[in-house]
Amino acid sequence: MGLIYQPAVPVSPGKLAVWLFLSTEIMFFTALIGTYIVLRFGAPEGSWPTTSAVRIVEWIGALNTFVLICSSGTIVFAFENARRDKPAQAKIWLLLTMLLGGAFLGIKAYEYGSKFAHGIYPRVPRSLIYDRPDINYLSGLKQNLSQEIRDLEETKASPDEQQKLETLYLLQLGMVGWTEQKVGSTDDPMMKRLAIESLAQQIYPISDPQTDERINTYVANEANEVQMLFGEENAKLKETELTLKSTQSDIGQLSGIKEPNDEVKSTLAQKTKLANQLTAQITALTKKTTLLRKRKEALEIFKDVHGGINEHYHLKLPMVIPSGNTWANTYFLLTGFHALHVFGGLVAFLVLCPKRLGASRAGLVENVALYWHFVDIVWIFLFPLLYLF
Amino acid sequence: MNETGQPTHKKNSPFIFIIVFLMLCALTGLSFWIGRSHLMEDKFTGWSAMMAVSVAKAMLVVLFFMHLWWERPWKYVLTLPAIIMGALLVLLLVPDIGFRTERYSQERNSSAAESRELTLDSVNSEDVHFER
Repeated sequence: MGLIYQPAVPVSPGKLAVWLFLSTEIMFFTALIGTYIVLRFGAPEGSWPTTSAVRIVEWIGALNTFVLICSSGTIVFAFENARRDKPAQAKIWLLLTMLLGGAFLGIKAYEYGSKFAHGIYPRVPRSLIYDRPDINYLSGLKQNLSQEIRDLEETKASPDEQQKLETLYLLQLGMVGWTEQKVGSTDDPMMKRLAIESLAQQIYPISDPQTDERINTYVANEANEVQMLFGEENAKLKETELTLKSTQSDIGQLSGIKEPNDEVKSTLAQKTKLANQLTAQITALTKKTTLLRKRKEALEIFKDVHGGINEHYHLKLPMVIPSGNTWANTYFLLTGFHALHVFGGLVAFLVLCPKRLGASRAGLVENVALYWHFVDIVWIFLFPLLYLF
Repeated sequence: MNETGQPTHKKNSPFIFIIVFLMLCALTGLSFWIGRSHLMEDKFTGWSAMMAVSVAKAMLVVLFFMHLWWERPWKYVLTLPAIIMGALLVLLLVPDIGFRTERYSQERNSSAAESRELTLDSVNSEDVHFER
């Protein structure tokens, strides 16, 4: 008696396996995308970065969507041709699909590159993103800046690097040092935050016209105040220096007297004491005016810097992007896993490539095509979620 | 039915695939347009519209490019439970993670992300105080 094999499902085992695999992939990506949605909409209100703040370019995402849709279309024709036993045409469509898949990855790599160039990385130690303009950020900035300066000082600097070093010194004193002094001198937590916020904005503006405008107003007002204060303090310094000079000449005259009586002695003692006090005052005033002058210089030089200090001077200083770390984590995880799947598809195409894609292999082409369409569907959801929301 | 148990779907001429492809392109353009249109003034309307467009695109791909329009629907036995399980997993996150900020302590809140708008709203950015 012969046994007859009865398949449980009326399809080839390969196709069943692909659908089973796709079901696990559905769970994988539902969990990833869903987690992103939950994290995103659960983030502190209004803090999720706008696309421009994290250097997302919408049309590049749209272009990539188009590229992937095209590749889905071409693989359909590869299968249709294989099914109709036209291996040569099938091969051409397959190669076209590979080309489009490669283009997708290329565009993706370019996008990643532009994020990395701005210091947007998924995690420390490379990530430069801070969630809030607070003391923690300020100290991170200070550390980063002094490290950068130390590194540059150690190397024998070229004129270009010397120029950069000058910029860094000015940043250190006129921006970070100034902000530190300001934060230390006020008890108002709001004013502390505003000072750090304006510093963060000058380093990496978040490109929201309204916010930028308000910070610019603050910086402009501060520039006026600094100008005025510098004038006052400088005049005070000059005056004190004059007083010191006259006191010193008095002291010279008095100590020139051959046989000083008690009165002369006590005046001399008084004048010497005064001179010491004045010297101390001058030291303090010099320190203050130096800081003010540096601040004045810094505000003038960094005022019209387009795209922020980081971009203009090709620096990678820590920056404040509210919820930026959660954004970077989810963005790189989602697009990274998707790109890995695209890469996997390309490997499968590469395996198919040397084979004769006739009717006998139509099933194989179809299975790979099913996987490729699934990868396309994932991107169909990722595109609006990551680029347009 | 051919040997793999599928209908030999004679009707799916290249014409239908081209139509579907053009529809997919048009829908991509539509979601891009929605992203810049006045629909985004009310975020939820814009988001819902975009997600609706995405679901439509996904359905087009599944039904035509993946042939489900012509094939037997046994795939749903695998994929629908997978979708439901995945969705449940995500829903389980909502109470703990989705509403996390509502249970933040004051201390935690003071180091949480805050929108720049909010920072600026809480202080008048035209004020510049100096200790003299």
